[in-house]
Amino acid sequence: MSYGIVRGTRFQILSKDDLDRIHWGTLHILEKVGVQVDSPTCRKLLKENGCEVDEEARSAKIPSHLVMEALSKKKSTITLAARDPKYDARLDLNHSYMCANGNGAVAVDFETGERRNSTKQDLVDSTKICDALPNVHVHWPMVSSTDVPASVVHLHDLEASLNNTGKHVMYETGVTLEDAKNLTAMGYAAAGGEKEYRRRPITSCLQCTYAPLQHDAGVMDASLEFAKNGVPLVFFTMPQPGATGPASLVGSMVVGNAEVLSALVMTQLASPGASVIYGLGIAPLDMKTTVRAGGSPEHAICSAMGTEMAHYYGMPSCVGVSGTAKEPGIQAAMDTYTGCVGPLLAGADLMCGIGLLEDSSCLHLEQVVIDNEIVGAIARLIRGEWADDDTLALDVIEKVGIGKNYLAQKHTMKYLRTDHFMPTLVDRRSEDAWSTTGKKTMRDSAREKVKEILATHKVPGLPDGANRDLAAIIEKAKKPLWGGESKVH
Amino acid sequence: MEEIVTQLKNAVINYEMETIADLAKKAVDQGVDPLVAIDKGLAEGIKTVGERFGKGEIFLPELVMGAEAMKAALAVLEPAVPAGQHRETAGKVLIGTVQDDIHEIGKNLVSTMLASNGFEVVDLGVNVPAQDFLKKAGEVKANIVAMSALMTTTMPRMAEVIAPLKKDNPSVKTIIGGAPVTDVYAKEIGSEGYSGDASGAVDVAKKLLG
Repeated sequence: MSYGIVRGTRFQILSKDDLDRIHWGTLHILEKVGVQVDSPTCRKLLKENGCEVDEEARSAKIPSHLVMEALSKKKSTITLAARDPKYDARLDLNHSYMCANGNGAVAVDFETGERRNSTKQDLVDSTKICDALPNVHVHWPMVSSTDVPASVVHLHDLEASLNNTGKHVMYETGVTLEDAKNLTAMGYAAAGGEKEYRRRPITSCLQCTYAPLQHDAGVMDASLEFAKNGVPLVFFTMPQPGATGPASLVGSMVVGNAEVLSALVMTQLASPGASVIYGLGIAPLDMKTTVRAGGSPEHAICSAMGTEMAHYYGMPSCVGVSGTAKEPGIQAAMDTYTGCVGPLLAGADLMCGIGLLEDSSCLHLEQVVIDNEIVGAIARLIRGEWADDDTLALDVIEKVGIGKNYLAQKHTMKYLRTDHFMPTLVDRRSEDAWSTTGKKTMRDSAREKVKEILATHKVPGLPDGANRDLAAIIEKAKKPLWGGESKVH
Repeated sequence: MEEIVTQLKNAVINYEMETIADLAKKAVDQGVDPLVAIDKGLAEGIKTVGERFGKGEIFLPELVMGAEAMKAALAVLEPAVPAGQHRETAGKVLIGTVQDDIHEIGKNLVSTMLASNGFEVVDLGVNVPAQDFLKKAGEVKANIVAMSALMTTTMPRMAEVIAPLKKDNPSVKTIIGGAPVTDVYAKEIGSEGYSGDASGAVDVAKKLLG
């Protein structure tokens, strides 16, 4: 069986005409309004290639032909290779893969229940759990190691991730050129050298654009460095409809599309053929609470439309899901389900991500396990059904005849394994059986599962030599920041 | 005279962003005391808008439009205030997004919320170096310095402001916020104030100055 979620059922939100109009509208905006490009290197690159650059406004107007050229150089199939090759995620526009959410800065302590800053140990634990869960396919460092010096938080996050999962590690945001060099070097060291890394990139980087229509200098300089070094990239756009994008979802799609395409232009000009994934996570600003409405139906619809847009261009998508619940429970489950089901039905290639609450801020280990179960159910929902001789089962129906049952049929055993979702947390027992075993909630069961994974799941770490190299890169990168204040806290 | 002050109040309540400046000019031409026009007109209007938002009767865009209307009228009325006189405010807040961080919307929302609750807000924008916060805090005699950071990598920039700020002027309070920022972190870097969202920032500011 192939890795990831196999998709059969699809639903469509935008028609071909809609997609054309968003595309043409985006080209219009890129030519007429342009984007802000804070990096002088990138502005120079754009100017040399025929963009109208305003140095004072730090903006660039990008002609359509440059966008079309960039699209002609993009890759349609990108394999996110894993340290353990059985976990290779081939983004081929036909499979879906799930990530856990990432870069939270807070965790609720699994033992004490205290809500506190996240630590490297939280990252180690959550990484192990993600490694063990079947419906988390690609790894994101879920929280930041805020207990290490601030200058090397990202590097520690990558080190802890690589050592505790065999799955592909996608880190979010390398925000300076130096970050990019160090993160690349760590990827090379873990893969066993540059040549092996370029053949099988076991890490990748997700970079955020800034809505509306802006590219941060450090992020873009780092992106060009990553592209040069063979590190696959996601350009992830996040306008908030009504706030940093038009309130109409399609209008925000135009803003987001302009950001992704302009980032693609710069990357393909600098490194033709670079692996770039189309990233989009558009959730409205909730106009009553001023909080981003992660996990809302609009968030799901936008992630679905983002996938359709990516596929229109022949690019794999990486789209967002999150939730605003404050604790594992009913709202959290609703957020995850609503946020995931739409984009997965639309064919999302990579979805990021499950497991964090408070809109991608706070780690609850139980939630990772619960969300894994929800994704499992959705995977079944979207697999697709088909009628062939074996599924029609006419022979079996004839054999069993009228009024009997199918329990003792080999056909039953066979299809039970492929056609029936086998839950690990959903409790389908009778009320009687449930109450005599302590009336456990799903959260209770999830806690047990977390304990079990942490106690028993073993992940082979990197070879000693690679770990020495990683430690040396981190040590060299460590420096006191800003007048001696050297820790995040 | 009283009538035009009421009109100014209503213009804020009705979000008349495009026409309120003309109304303010008319008030100045008619010899209305600019401080009265601000206090009894604009401030009363934005207070009503803020209360409606707080009760969930209106949405954020309406609150922002009300604040924009007030801003347009203030641009006319403030220069007309005679030298030496000052408007009454709930306090003066210096606000900005810290260096290396260009995220704007959260900071802008806090500015709007504070302004609609009677605070005078001086907004330094985004990517603000520590020395600018420190210099401006002294210049404008801020009661509160509010900082926003949206990335774990830029959070430490807030600590960089707080330590020297407190040394120079121990009475200045600070409020921090932004997606990765927590109450725990605020305590660690010595910020008296923290808020997880824009509405909460107003209560925190009131408490700090109360």
